[in-house]
Amino acid sequence: MGQVLFIVWRESVEAMLVIGILYAWLKAHPEAGAGMRYLWGGVAAGIAAALALGGAILAFAEFFAGDAQDWFQIAMVLAAALLIVHMVFWMKRHGRTLKHDLEAGMARTAVTANWWGMLVLVMLAVAREGSETVIFLYGLGLAQQGIALLQFTLAALAGFALALATFGLLQLGGKVFSWRAFFRFSETVLLLLAASLLVTGAEKLVALGWLPPLLDPLWHSAWLLDDSAGLGGLIAALTGYRAQPALITVLLYAGYWVVIGWLSRRSPPAVLAQVRPAGT
Amino acid sequence: MKRLLACTLAVLALNALAEELPVFKLEVRDGVFAPTRLEVPAGTKFKIELHNTGSSAIEFESKPLRKEKVLGPGAQSFVVIHGLEPGEYPFFDEFHQDIGQGVIVAR
Repeated sequence: MGQVLFIVWRESVEAMLVIGILYAWLKAHPEAGAGMRYLWGGVAAGIAAALALGGAILAFAEFFAGDAQDWFQIAMVLAAALLIVHMVFWMKRHGRTLKHDLEAGMARTAVTANWWGMLVLVMLAVAREGSETVIFLYGLGLAQQGIALLQFTLAALAGFALALATFGLLQLGGKVFSWRAFFRFSETVLLLLAASLLVTGAEKLVALGWLPPLLDPLWHSAWLLDDSAGLGGLIAALTGYRAQPALITVLLYAGYWVVIGWLSRRSPPAVLAQVRPAGT
Repeated sequence: MKRLLACTLAVLALNALAEELPVFKLEVRDGVFAPTRLEVPAGTKFKIELHNTGSSAIEFESKPLRKEKVLGPGAQSFVVIHGLEPGEYPFFDEFHQDIGQGVIVAR
């Protein structure tokens, strides 16, 4: 049952990080209250999409055979990576000025467009891993009966509760640490996650033969940290670490951070740090 | 909707093309792979036909092969591998990581 608990937590933790950070940001910016509805809308849409996608993969396995599922995944991860980067810099830029902008009646449509972007981002985050959780739980749930089914359900709920605790921890972090430190941390987590999604997309493109690997693998570091299991697997999912990366993946990863660095210089980080969470 | 249909057809056509490839069968039963060692020719495109004969879902995953595929109980599917350098490529069942391990050997 430990396996069930771990997998449910592992599959929900990415989405929880995204939701938790966005929620903390929205809480700290009461003037952005309208965004909250889009956040929960994204969660609801994501759960619906996860159920639909999970159901579709279960029902039409042959449709998702071969490269079809990979293309679908590539589209999802690259879109999610782009939306995360957009959202991080949007939050940086508008952290201080949003209230003023809204009061001045400016940028309302731009702000609404951004909320829609956030909705899609949250939806993708929930749907991507959620659909796998749906299939995993469905398959295991079918195999259980009586007491075992009860234990199984409890383990799955415990895994989800653990993921919720991650969410709670983020909210606590937003209160305990200075807002500046917390946003620094959140921003890093989100940008790493986007980098990881980019690596996933790039690797799938390499595997499909659409990107030349150039040099493959560039190094072997599984002896140091295995990217397939346990902690290494979690680090791989959250940062884009790979034990046997192709040169092209490393180049893209480095290129990504160069672009991020360039974007960061254009919008000074101090902007966001000026806002304190409500009530502090 | 039309575009979706067109994409679907394109994908089905691609899949049909993939039919011509050499096929290696891999059975998974609740995390246990059979065989646990697949020998494949290096440098050629091939197909691994996955059949989940167990009662629980599996996720065929390999970081070095850069593939992952989720299969419900009883489901059958395949992954296409676009040519490998000679070497060993471990894979595992992410949903049964404690038992489900195997390796593809390209030579």
